[in-house]
Amino acid sequence: MSNLLNTYDLLKSIVQLSTSSMPIQVKLDQMLQSISEAFQSSQCLLLKPEKIDKEGFLSRLLSEKKPLWVEDRSSLQKENVLLEEESLLSPAFACIPLYDAMSSQGILYIGFSRPHPFSSQERDILLLIGEAIGGVIRSDCLHQKSEETLLELAALYEIEKTVTATLKLENLFESIVSSGLKILKAKGGVLRVEDRKTGELKLKWSVGGYDQHPLDEKIARKVFHTQVPLSLDSSGEEKPSFSILCAPFVSKGKVLGTLTFYDKDSDSQKFDEKDFQFLLMMVNQMSCTIENALIHHETSEMACNHEKTVKELSTLCELNKTLLTTVNFEQIIHMTLAAITIGDGLGFNRAMLFLVNEKSNTLDGTMAVGPDSAEEAGKIWSALSQRKGNLSDLITQLSPEGHSNLNAIVKGIQIPLEQEQCILSRTVLEGRPFNIRFPQSKEGWLQTRCERGCHLGSEVGCYVSEHLSRDPRVYSFATVPLWGKGRVIGVILVDNLYNQISITDEDIRFLGMFSNQAGLAIENAILYRHLEEVHQELKETQNLLIHREKMAALGELSNSIAHEIKNPLVSIGGFARRLYRTIPDDAPEKRYTQTIMVEVARLEGILTDIYHYTHDESSAFKECDLRKILEDSLSLFQERIDVEGLELVQEYSEEVPQINGDYHQLRQVFFNLINNAYQAMKGQGTLSLRLHSIAKNGAPYAQVEVEDTGGGIDPENLHNIFNPFYTTKDSSLGLGLPIIHKIITSHRGQIEVDNQPGTGVKFIVTLPSPEKEKENGLKGS
Amino acid sequence: MKKILVVDDEESIRFLYKEELEEEGYLVECAQNGKEALEKLSLFKPDLISLDIKMPVMDGIEALKRIREIERRLPVILCSAYGEYKQDLTTWASDAYVVKCADLSNFKSTIRKLLGLS
Repeated sequence: MSNLLNTYDLLKSIVQLSTSSMPIQVKLDQMLQSISEAFQSSQCLLLKPEKIDKEGFLSRLLSEKKPLWVEDRSSLQKENVLLEEESLLSPAFACIPLYDAMSSQGILYIGFSRPHPFSSQERDILLLIGEAIGGVIRSDCLHQKSEETLLELAALYEIEKTVTATLKLENLFESIVSSGLKILKAKGGVLRVEDRKTGELKLKWSVGGYDQHPLDEKIARKVFHTQVPLSLDSSGEEKPSFSILCAPFVSKGKVLGTLTFYDKDSDSQKFDEKDFQFLLMMVNQMSCTIENALIHHETSEMACNHEKTVKELSTLCELNKTLLTTVNFEQIIHMTLAAITIGDGLGFNRAMLFLVNEKSNTLDGTMAVGPDSAEEAGKIWSALSQRKGNLSDLITQLSPEGHSNLNAIVKGIQIPLEQEQCILSRTVLEGRPFNIRFPQSKEGWLQTRCERGCHLGSEVGCYVSEHLSRDPRVYSFATVPLWGKGRVIGVILVDNLYNQISITDEDIRFLGMFSNQAGLAIENAILYRHLEEVHQELKETQNLLIHREKMAALGELSNSIAHEIKNPLVSIGGFARRLYRTIPDDAPEKRYTQTIMVEVARLEGILTDIYHYTHDESSAFKECDLRKILEDSLSLFQERIDVEGLELVQEYSEEVPQINGDYHQLRQVFFNLINNAYQAMKGQGTLSLRLHSIAKNGAPYAQVEVEDTGGGIDPENLHNIFNPFYTTKDSSLGLGLPIIHKIITSHRGQIEVDNQPGTGVKFIVTLPSPEKEKENGLKGS
Repeated sequence: MKKILVVDDEESIRFLYKEELEEEGYLVECAQNGKEALEKLSLFKPDLISLDIKMPVMDGIEALKRIREIERRLPVILCSAYGEYKQDLTTWASDAYVVKCADLSNFKSTIRKLLGLS
């Protein structure tokens, strides 16, 4: 440094350099260059504090913060001079520590190849330059720091922006981890969140595969439970070495989860305090967002569940409403199955109902709803999709499919309940649903193959592949029990044969809910049906009782009338006989009187019959000739038949056994039968009377047939015709056939009806011969 | 000539029986009820009584009881419209029970049998 001009130039260069916009390193290099040139030194260096060994003398200089001026090396006391510092011990040199209030910034070194006296001006200039370099370094440091802060702020802003852009948990987790990775320049990151239901710390997002490492979960758990963030460097012996940062997400004093980052991008680097602080800042910022997102997620999940439940409930409500529209059994079960198969209802392809038959201890196929083929299914679905109206309207509009093949097959199925291999029986016996996803598996398929001829197997489950050339592995079906009041009354079987949508447990749960309702409705319908039957029976019984009471009163009346008219009848008949005896045989009065006598006799017989019926008096049995009885009975109609031109067929076999009976009673029997036939024919037709003998069990019987062409008896009334006091004729007391029945029974005979509705009716009376009677008597005694 | 007392409340029956039995050659006297029959019993002294059961004033059952107190062996035929008293213990004291009928042949033969004429 020779003159003032040089000094001026140096300072000018230093000031210019310090305010220039060159990168710091270039700036410093040029400064050192200028110094070296100005002082004509051998070397000029800036020793950075991190490169200065703490043990050496430079370190001491730095801590003492005093410049060192060595004008001649020989005068220097070599204390603590390290080997690498030896090169700096030039023949003359100066070391000027650079520092500010906070930290030291290094040492400005200037060395000379020969001893150099430092003038006070040179010393001042070097000290001044040292301050200037310190200032440059400080301002660069500040600039760097502010740039870094800006960068961090920008990163945080970026994270904040991305995480607030979404409430979708997965996206949020992903953006947190990736932003962290970017800022921290880490190799991997793992984010875990506590499952609120189970309390487990669950992996939500991972980059770099560090979640596979056993240490990862341990660290996360520790941080989660202690709520203390962790910064860990494992180096040296353990291989590979780790650099780990882990911090908990804490919101309102509650730990939500953990965020862990692994290893810097460059292997040599480890996470520093700044990274750690950044992580803490990040988790602080994110905790609230994560909690909000979790709450949002839970709320939307809940809302989704609620919406589903509401939909289920409204469907159930709608279906129940439909079930309540009727108590008719057939309608109820059809509606139930329709509700199960309709798309807006439960949406299964096919549904089959089996009811428990307690009498036979079997499960009886009752009804099935569902298309017979895939084409039909398509047609039905497209037709249904065009229909409008609510669910209950749709269901009630569907007509019962009595003609479907499936229905016919199911109706023919009867499965013994004790057959435990059958899934249907098991559903009843165990009272729980079965969801057979893989019928081929041991649990499902094999057990539905009912060995005792369960047709269900062949048509519904077991041999689907055979019948429909489909892969049975994709076929699945489910059964649910149908609960009545505290007992299983049947089973509903459902499947998705055509669209092959698999049946979920959720479907089964809903089906179960519905079938519980349907079960009650069906049981009610059964009870109602039973009630109606009983009611009908009661009504009939009541009618019969009323009728009987009426008839009993009438019987009493007719009994007293019978008494009153008996005496006049006896005198009429008696005097007629007296007259008859006095009239000459050729006089016409002879026949008149005879008619009076005969009719009186018949009236007497009828009165006696009524008396016998009401008094249960034993009949006067004697041997009698059925042919004569028939002819006598017919003679009273002969005139009317002739006049009206009815066709009369009489077939009397020659060899008819004599029977033991009451002439009057038997005559009343055939009189009544002929009378009924005559009245039924209303003046046209054929009346046939046949008499022949038959053998039953080797014993001879006489058989009489009275047949008409009067249209027969209404099948509804057929079972009642022998009931006393039952009549369809307004004019009749309804005693005719019951008296006949009573008389024939008292004669140990039988009366049968061969009814041909629309054509006519044939009454067949079979009476035993006396031989048979004797045998019976002997056997009896 | 055997004497028969016909007891019946129905005049037509009394008339018919009287006519029929007189034709058979009996002497016939009639009474309208049991009381009148008892009055006529000692006077007319019948060989046989035909006694209706249902009658006003005194019925046949009561009359039979009274008759048996007086005439133990006098044949009595109980006549009724139906067989309702046939099995009745109250009628056991009669000699015969005949159900009334326009055909009187059964009645007449019973009378002949009881009088030992057949």
